[in-house]
Amino acid sequence: MADIEIEIDGNLVSAKAGEMLIAVTDREGISVPRFCYHKKLSVAANCRMCLVDVEGAPKPQPACSTPINEGMKVHTNNEKVKASQKAVMEFLLINHPLDCPICDQGGECELQDVAMDYGSDVSRFSEGKRVVVDGDIGPLIQTDMTRCIHCTRCVRFGAEIGGIMEMGGTGRGEDLKIEPFLAEGIQSELSGNMIDVCPVGALTSKPFRYELRTWQMNSVSNIARHDLTGSNIVTQTYKGRVKRIVAKDNDSVNETWISDRDRFSYEGLAHENRLLSPQIKVKGEWREVSWDEALEFAMRGLTDKVLNTGEANKLGALASNTATLEEFHLLQKLLREVGSENIDYRLNIKDLENTVTLESNIKLAGLEGVDHVLIIGSNPRLEQPMINHRLRKASLSGASIDVINVMAFDFNYQLNSENIVTPNQIAFMLAEVLKLILQASNAEIPEALSKIEASDTAKQLADRLLDADNSVIILGEHMVNNPQASSIAQLINEIAQQTNSTTLNISATANSMAGDLTEFVPGKKGLDANAMLATGLKAYILLDVYPHFDFHHPAQAIKALSKKDAFVISMNSFKDEAVAQYSDVMLPIASFYETSGSHINIEGKVQSFCASVSAPSDVKPAWKVLKVLADLLQLPGFHFANSMQVTSEISNQGHKQNVSNKKLDIKVKRSVNVIWQKSPYAVDALSRHASALQATKIGQMHSASMNKATAKKLEVAENDNYLGVPVSIRESVANNCVFVNTNKPIRGEL
Amino acid sequence: MNEVCFKNLDKKKCYSLKVYEQSGGYSIWRKILKGELTPEEIIDELKASGLRGRGGAGFPTGLKWSFMPRNASMQKYVVCNSDEGEPGTCKDRDILRYNPHAVIEGMAIGGFVMNASVGYNYIRGEFMEPFKRFEGALKEVYKAGLLGKNIGASGVSFDLHTHLGAGAYICGEETALLESIEGKKGQPRFKPPFPANVGLFGQPTTINNTESFASVPEILSQGGQWFADIGVENSGGCKLFSVTGHVQKPSNFEVPMGIPFKDLLEMAGGIKKGRKLKAVIPGGSSTPVLTAEVAMEMTMDYDGIEKAGSMLGAGSVIVMDDSTCMVATLTRLAHFYYDESCGQCTPCREGTGWLYRVLKRIMDGDGKADDIDLLLGVSDKIMGNTICALGDAAAMPVESFLRNFRPEFEYYIKHGKSMVKG
Ligand SMILES: Cc1cc2nc3c(=O)[nH]c(=O)nc-3n(C[C@H](O)[C@H](O)[C@H](O)COP(=O)(O)O)c2cc1C
Ligand code: SF4
Ligand code: SF4
Ligand code: FES
Repeated sequence: MADIEIEIDGNLVSAKAGEMLIAVTDREGISVPRFCYHKKLSVAANCRMCLVDVEGAPKPQPACSTPINEGMKVHTNNEKVKASQKAVMEFLLINHPLDCPICDQGGECELQDVAMDYGSDVSRFSEGKRVVVDGDIGPLIQTDMTRCIHCTRCVRFGAEIGGIMEMGGTGRGEDLKIEPFLAEGIQSELSGNMIDVCPVGALTSKPFRYELRTWQMNSVSNIARHDLTGSNIVTQTYKGRVKRIVAKDNDSVNETWISDRDRFSYEGLAHENRLLSPQIKVKGEWREVSWDEALEFAMRGLTDKVLNTGEANKLGALASNTATLEEFHLLQKLLREVGSENIDYRLNIKDLENTVTLESNIKLAGLEGVDHVLIIGSNPRLEQPMINHRLRKASLSGASIDVINVMAFDFNYQLNSENIVTPNQIAFMLAEVLKLILQASNAEIPEALSKIEASDTAKQLADRLLDADNSVIILGEHMVNNPQASSIAQLINEIAQQTNSTTLNISATANSMAGDLTEFVPGKKGLDANAMLATGLKAYILLDVYPHFDFHHPAQAIKALSKKDAFVISMNSFKDEAVAQYSDVMLPIASFYETSGSHINIEGKVQSFCASVSAPSDVKPAWKVLKVLADLLQLPGFHFANSMQVTSEISNQGHKQNVSNKKLDIKVKRSVNVIWQKSPYAVDALSRHASALQATKIGQMHSASMNKATAKKLEVAENDNYLGVPVSIRESVANNCVFVNTNKPIRGEL
Repeated sequence: MNEVCFKNLDKKKCYSLKVYEQSGGYSIWRKILKGELTPEEIIDELKASGLRGRGGAGFPTGLKWSFMPRNASMQKYVVCNSDEGEPGTCKDRDILRYNPHAVIEGMAIGGFVMNASVGYNYIRGEFMEPFKRFEGALKEVYKAGLLGKNIGASGVSFDLHTHLGAGAYICGEETALLESIEGKKGQPRFKPPFPANVGLFGQPTTINNTESFASVPEILSQGGQWFADIGVENSGGCKLFSVTGHVQKPSNFEVPMGIPFKDLLEMAGGIKKGRKLKAVIPGGSSTPVLTAEVAMEMTMDYDGIEKAGSMLGAGSVIVMDDSTCMVATLTRLAHFYYDESCGQCTPCREGTGWLYRVLKRIMDGDGKADDIDLLLGVSDKIMGNTICALGDAAAMPVESFLRNFRPEFEYYIKHGKSMVKG
């Protein structure tokens, strides 16, 4: 829209026609007090704090809901405006407790700040104040609703951003109450943002309650590493401990929001289960030792077992996907330097010949602009909350969304179609779609597709991809162990090319992108994770691996690692029984926010961070441990003084995922398929140790879902154990499929 | 008297389609269906008639209808406001009961003029009988083939739905009403955007009061000038006044605009024997109260009432004799607004409760000398600072009661009891 000029407090200002006045004053640095206005939420204009004087208007006008027009003359601080502001402030305070010293929001309260500038010191209100009784709304958010000023930011957050209206206004007039609509309280995956948007102390962080005042803490920027977004956060620390996490604005990454997992996982840092000192196993007994001794022991073990015997190819390195870019790099460098290419971070895949290799070629912000989405094998809301948020935005602006899943999930936007099919049918379904798309452009039909008869469902899916101008196909985590995973990736790649769609591969999460970029995968002569364990190596270096959660077949992995002649060096942040069982050395390493490093998000953006706090006294950042170990092994090229020097050695060539070109396998099979997934708050060790997160409904997710027919086939009933997980019978699961979500160690094969 | 909305009041079954048609009803609508009237002609007649919105604000109806983007391609709506919740008013109820077809025809005409093929009549929740009458009338017209899609192959479509409210005064505020029809909590929207641009379900919408719509067919039958001539300058036509309170025969009267208040009072049977007129609220509880002396000199039209210091509002004349305690009356009114505030905006949510509590305290004998200033101060701070006019409506009586009857309040505060022995 065209630029126009308006006059604010006597100064000419140019702005866009139709903009709200408050956007202009904000940009110009003119202060207009406000409570209900929030730049990422719809306008409510209910607090009336932002009233200004517009010449010609009989009444004061709210800056947040007054669109500007040419020649408008505005006063933001004349007597009329001051009178309105004072009036509104007085009304806000009559029923608000005036006990800031005991309020948890004290010091960071918008009401307190504005009252200092615009309030009166004496209240003429002598009636009784309103008191609102608080209910328990869940483990994450503490309420003190007597302090609520009814600005409805939290309500609008739920309705507009969260996609589920958890908070609402009930009653009217003075009895208007902001409270959860549902008896189960607040349970959504983005709920903590309501704490950030609440201008007062009505909604505060429960785990942080009454801990500290904001001014007592240091604020350090950091990056959350639980998923593929790499949300920007501020860690607030006190005496070397992370006390609270809040969102940091970054429009191209997480806008102003963060997931609850990013916000509350820090609690795990202080968990009693942290591994706090280096230990070595001598004659089957664990002994706490100094770092020097432990590293010496580790170095000796490696030298004796493999290096001096010329068996470097009997050394392997395995890492979890939460490692930093620098940690991945140093560990693979160390291995390659001593002559081993047995390197892998893909621990949860049954058949590494059959993987989901597919490029991601769309930006996070770009997701908002697509007009069609096809999601395959994902519950994005819980797996990748901020990516899902972008998809929701796309949906709200009209994008159609089709889903092919093995189970019906609770999406927070409208789906065009939700196709629930057995894992074994997905490849076939995509083959049908591909055939139709090829037919539409009169292209040659490959042999493998020649006999297929396309179903109506496939036709609809194909038509929408063909009709769309800007579509994206998303491949999710549930495809990871699909027996036809690589064929599925091939088919999608082909469909995307034929329809000019972009693709988004969210099948591997956390910092997997960094694992790929640093080539933390086997080289030509190397073994992959499964092969290492199957062959049985003589020495291993494991980086933050928790076998019961990370391996696709924990029992087998533990057995292989526990072999008598295998020397195992484990670097972990948390104690773990299985790790203690198979390791010979345990080295305590820094967890999230205790180390510097980098995360690579889904769009390939490298985001580096410094340590917000130092690790507990005898705990070291893994990059340093690896550097020292390399030094002890007298390897060249490890002269790093800090992690930034490591980062700069890694060249970001934007790792390419080469799609496999094996023969397509699209045969529909009848066997039962198990899809195993760590529940959303069990994805990594830190989250698993965050008690408030664990207490939420999402944190408690632990079930093997299947339909009646499948249960009958497997001879189990509701609440029986299946692979150690309670059975939940639901008809929303595809036939012949078990969908396991677990937050506890797994027994048996997956 | 009784020339427009109450034209057929004395006839048997005056609410039936038959009676309505016998007296010329639906002739305008039929003309429209035959293509004999254009929207421009209708708007011109309405402008000439001087009809002003009967819901309270008195905005010229013809002008309002001309604001609708009639040529825009999206769905548009006409909505009738039959929520009638203002204390003192009961005219729309009787229009729905005795002349529902005039409302239907008026809305259909509005739909045609504004190119809106769908209408809603939002009827107050407690109005069960009027609601049934209106529904009955709707059935009749649908059966007669006068509503629906492409009516009689005319190319004109109009469908009309009724929507029953749930007893909230605030849903009479036009944008809260729209929210309520949409199935949401009845809370006013901030403006701009105005309903003519973003109204029901986000589409252009015009909202008029029941009486406004019901007046339209007769105006078009008899001509705008005919209507204008019934009334006085700036207040065309006749108007329904609901006269209630301390009168012998409380009732609705359809009389020419500009009639002297004292004549209207007489029509209502005057004040009870042995009592004296003390005060009059001329336009419904949201309008300022007047003293007897001022009221007796006043004429009942927009300018006349404004000159007297109040507003015509919805034409709800509340008459009070000398047995009335003004402190108790204001307390009752303050309680009403306190109870009916939707609570979304700060000054009204917090201020109405404050006003009521101070008044209640005075009534309880705990008044303080500076309470009067406090009340004036609080009402002044609500005034003009809210999203909708309910805030102003709550503030206005306070100011006028205190201005006109201050000694009564002072007496009550000082003595802890009313000056009026009633
Ligand atoms: C609190 C409040 C209550 C209202 N109640 C009614 C009502 O019950 N009926 C009505 O017609 N207008 C009511 N109005 C006025 C409407 O908002 C609107 O101005 C009117 O329906 C427009 O119709 P008109 O132009 O025909 O008068 C109310 C306004 C406010 C602020
Ligand atoms: S709880 Fe906070 S955000 Fe929600 S309405 Fe109250 S003050 Fe606003
Ligand atoms: S003025 Fe009162 S009724 Fe109107 S929107 Fe505000 S709180 Fe609601
Ligand atoms: S910020 Fe404008 S009314 Fe609240």
